[in-house]
Amino acid sequence: MRTRENLLKLGKVSIGIGVAAGILLLLDTYLRGFYIGVIILFGINAIVCLGVSITNSHANIFSLGFGGIMLIAAYATSLLTLPVAYKSQFLQLPLWLENAQWPFVPALIAAGIVAVFSSVVLVLPAFRLRGHYFILASIGINIVMTNIGINLRAWTHGPLGLRNIPFYTNIWWIYGILFLTIFFVWKLLHSKFGRAFVAIGKDQTLASVLGVNVVLYKIYAFIIGSFIVGIGGALWVHHIGAMNPHVFELVFVFQIIAMLAIGGSGTISGAILGAAIITFFTQLARPVQEGFILFGLKVPPLIGLIQVLIAMIIILVMIYRPQGLLGRHEIRWETLHEAVRAAHRRIRGQT
Amino acid sequence: MGLYLVQQLINAISYGSILGLLAVGYTMIYGILGLINFAHGEIFMIGAFICYFLVSLYHVPWVIAALLAVAASTVAGLLLERVVYRPCIKRKAPVLTVFIASFGASLGLRFSFMMFFTDRRRAFPIPEFFEKMYFWGEIAIGLRDIIIFVTTIVIMSLVACFIKYTRLGTAMRGVSFDTKTAQLMGINSARIIVAAFAIGSALAGISAIEYGLTFGIVNPGMGFTPGLEGFIAAVLGGIGNVPGAMIGGFLIGVGEILFVALLPPELSPLRPLFVWALLFVILFLRPTGLFRPNVKFAGIWGE
Repeated sequence: MRTRENLLKLGKVSIGIGVAAGILLLLDTYLRGFYIGVIILFGINAIVCLGVSITNSHANIFSLGFGGIMLIAAYATSLLTLPVAYKSQFLQLPLWLENAQWPFVPALIAAGIVAVFSSVVLVLPAFRLRGHYFILASIGINIVMTNIGINLRAWTHGPLGLRNIPFYTNIWWIYGILFLTIFFVWKLLHSKFGRAFVAIGKDQTLASVLGVNVVLYKIYAFIIGSFIVGIGGALWVHHIGAMNPHVFELVFVFQIIAMLAIGGSGTISGAILGAAIITFFTQLARPVQEGFILFGLKVPPLIGLIQVLIAMIIILVMIYRPQGLLGRHEIRWETLHEAVRAAHRRIRGQT
Repeated sequence: MGLYLVQQLINAISYGSILGLLAVGYTMIYGILGLINFAHGEIFMIGAFICYFLVSLYHVPWVIAALLAVAASTVAGLLLERVVYRPCIKRKAPVLTVFIASFGASLGLRFSFMMFFTDRRRAFPIPEFFEKMYFWGEIAIGLRDIIIFVTTIVIMSLVACFIKYTRLGTAMRGVSFDTKTAQLMGINSARIIVAAFAIGSALAGISAIEYGLTFGIVNPGMGFTPGLEGFIAAVLGGIGNVPGAMIGGFLIGVGEILFVALLPPELSPLRPLFVWALLFVILFLRPTGLFRPNVKFAGIWGE
């Protein structure tokens, strides 16, 4: 029996991977330019959302500091991969860093590790604070990091930002990493280790009574979350090819928070659904924002329209469906299976 | 050096007043609702914009325009409460949900102003009357600074007396300290929330006009930094403690200007860093702020 189940599971997984690879191949073949960029951006946002959801949704430590962490990771990967000529022209770096020409994967991992260290250094002191004070301190992390990025000209080229960052990403890299992340987060949340996070998120006192070292596990949650978030930031930089200290400011942070809140906190599929909704909405609404001509009628550019609409959506969702669209329901194989079966039954019943 | 310091202190006082007025609004709303009104900075921005439009476009006399701007920001605050906060509170949404909604309201307001009026900086109309300078030895004092300081002190004393001596003020303090007990005593907490928003937003409007007079600019992003610094000032003074928030605002404002004035000019772009560092230090030494907070911490956050 056991082998049969395992075989079945293997079959399902391989079918899933096959279908996903097929879809990606189709997208990669038929989409060009802007549209493939949207698909890639969705993947990156989904990775960031998953990373943020570990701390903000599962462990229930509402931190807005991930923008600053992503900024550090993004600078780390770009300093490691920028062309030597560019670095020697615009920046004053230590020699080893100036000559560093790391390949993509080590640079990504380095960015993740830098993110982990910086988050531990920055967030650890803030653990002493409670409730809104913690949120305030985490906003402070963003602002302080942006400020340092603007002023540390020798390393960051100031407010002008860095250009010529090599474009390493493509749809395969992004979605490979996204599926790895999904798998990892799924495994984590269903392990003994990850259930401790969920327990802390549900009821901190109860978790500590049951023998979970709350502070230690919160730090673990931050380490894992920041690693994923840092990789997301690094991928973003390699996708866009340029950055400045303002890219991960509070507006970006708000978009990620909006994705998590709209999709439904506490589940993997919620984070991905939210990322999909907001990313496609913002990217596809962009031409509207830049002004267009409709039947000879000139519509002026309305810069900021997207943010206003997202803000309205988020307020409505928070009022009428605060648990998000999916709530606490995870979309799984079984759910799909059940849905298909129910539809089948209904059709058969009608005829 | 002494003279320079005194001059810088005089310059700092108007910024301190601006932050103090903002901090009082924050501390009242936080004390009563138990959440950061993230959109407070945008209410501030709306006040400044209304004053700018009335004077520059419609040529309304300045004093009337300023009064109308304060009224407009009060209305904006009440609308915000009606549209965003009251539905959330009515549904007994968790604090975090309301916080995300207020985050949304803040960015929504800022970007809708950006959408209609662009991100450009506009010159805030300053009447000739305010440009007068008084000299006392080598120290120069603008009439503007004196008026700002006096207005702020008068308004703050009025608010402090209101909170301390009137029935409504006592009810507000009661709801801030312990909402459940206050409700059991027959206080209508919905009315108290409206009152807190009205007073807080009016103070934000006054503060916005002072900001316009001091810095002479209006733009949609102007509420962000003073907003956050005002909240830091409220934390510094002990949340829910109105006189504490006033003192906190003056401390932050004066500290910031002195930081820029006393350190070498290369370090002056690091001004935001100074404020946050100050916040961290104070939260470490005294996590409840400098003065006694007027909230029951256990009841609000559930920890």
